[in-house]
Amino acid sequence: MQIFLPIADVPVDLFVLLILGAAVGFLSGVFGIGGGFLMTPLLILLGIPAAVAVATEANQIAASSFSGVLAHLKRRAVDFKMGNILVVGGLLGSAVGVEVFRIIKSYGQIELFVSLCYILFLGSIGTLMFLESLSTIQKSRKSENTFKQKKKHNWIHGLPFKTKFKSSNLYISAIPPVIIGFIIGILASIMGVGGGFILIPAMIYILGMPTKVVIGTSLYQIMFITAFTTFMHATQNKTVDLLLALILIVGGVLGAQLGARVTVRLKAEEIRILLAIIVLLVCLKLALDLMITPNDLFSITYGSGS
Amino acid sequence: MRALIFAIIFIFSTAPFSLSSVISDIDKSNIELSTRFDGTSILVFGALSPENDSTSLLIEIIGPSTSVNIRKKVQIWGIWVNKKIARFKDIPSFYQISISNPEHPVLIEIENQKLKSLFYDSLEANSTPEDVNGVEQYYLELTRLKKKLGKLSVFEEQVNIIDKKLFSHKVNLPKKIHPGIYKIKMTLIDQQGIKLSKSEQSVKVSKVGVQEFLSYNSKNNPVFYGLFSVIIALFLGFSAAQLFRWLYR
Repeated sequence: MQIFLPIADVPVDLFVLLILGAAVGFLSGVFGIGGGFLMTPLLILLGIPAAVAVATEANQIAASSFSGVLAHLKRRAVDFKMGNILVVGGLLGSAVGVEVFRIIKSYGQIELFVSLCYILFLGSIGTLMFLESLSTIQKSRKSENTFKQKKKHNWIHGLPFKTKFKSSNLYISAIPPVIIGFIIGILASIMGVGGGFILIPAMIYILGMPTKVVIGTSLYQIMFITAFTTFMHATQNKTVDLLLALILIVGGVLGAQLGARVTVRLKAEEIRILLAIIVLLVCLKLALDLMITPNDLFSITYGSGS
Repeated sequence: MRALIFAIIFIFSTAPFSLSSVISDIDKSNIELSTRFDGTSILVFGALSPENDSTSLLIEIIGPSTSVNIRKKVQIWGIWVNKKIARFKDIPSFYQISISNPEHPVLIEIENQKLKSLFYDSLEANSTPEDVNGVEQYYLELTRLKKKLGKLSVFEEQVNIIDKKLFSHKVNLPKKIHPGIYKIKMTLIDQQGIKLSKSEQSVKVSKVGVQEFLSYNSKNNPVFYGLFSVIIALFLGFSAAQLFRWLYR
């Protein structure tokens, strides 16, 4: 069934969007990630303008992360103090990111910019994920159950503004969480991602947070940042397509709930390799689209802007 | 007295309007762009009293004006980058012209004159390219792209005349059209292309329902729209969490 999206200004198939939302939601439920880093480029490949894909995806992630954070709240798996400090950094990052986005958009190069960001990110994350899962599988075959030891003392501990994070059982400086939050805010606003794929490793390896509060706290920050990013994009760039967001939310929430419930039954490494391959394929497609000579060198855009 | 008689003769000999006339109507005066809009067509019909066999009927459909930027992709460091090259200010977002007699002797002249005034002359001065052939090229690209999008049609379809008295013409509008007033002009012309009589109709194309609500507020009330989007998203996220909590209890 075809519907016409009011802000994206393109006709799309409703069922394709719902299935896409559910599929990405499922993967995000399995891995505890926002799924935005897959959804945004897929929307672009479907023909949605990049600026709309980014802003709308931020809106969808606000919904899915809120849904997720409620589940973690019940399990008391959210470090609010850490979350709030990350949010402060994130709001700043998001405001800066949306402004950068607006400037690049005014030059008519936002499609290119978003594509390049994605090629870079998907390329590096896909490769890392692929290599890591490969080595995990090899390790598990040798049945060497090696745990990565947390560094008890690193450069983080030398920074000022130390504060106590009770839920995480940490006593560290507030500066690293602000900086991490800021980077996540930038990523959310220019790429339409929750940033979980950066935030979660950063919380574990840089901040040294215990794994049990990591996902809940990251969702807590992501919810605030994507909600704020949605608002900023709506007011600065007018690129939030609420109808598209609604469709993706419905598909995504269903998929994510299913994904979250099958987590325990699946062998993570193997699916992660599959995910890595999907990520690399999307990256490759975006790269090819930029490099292959287009069928039509000329295109037209409407309105007073570029 | 002699002067009066001359005047009457003069009026009659130069007033073909009284001899040729066209009256027209359309099958709809409103088109609603809902989220389910998938293109539509307008049927234009009417009666005419042609002066003689060489009289032809010209039908034009002119959509609301928009400004258009033409971009060309250029290769920089191996990747294709959009480069803005020209801007046409306030050109019809949709234009179709058809005639009842495709063998009309001055067809080419009519085409050139119409397209020149509607499109060619709207190229903004500041985007005038360096070389002389440039203007021509951008204009050609504009018309080519518009034709490809189904938004420009020049003598591709023939106006249907029945028994020299009645006419009908179906105008197909693509999926993606601009809201606004679409003017439909019917003109009777003679062999030299001189206007004999004309009739005009208009169709209002407007966004409705969700389409209207979202696009209007996104443009005009961005703060409300932004908050609304966030609240809807959070509400749906909350509802989903509650629903699944209840389902898996």
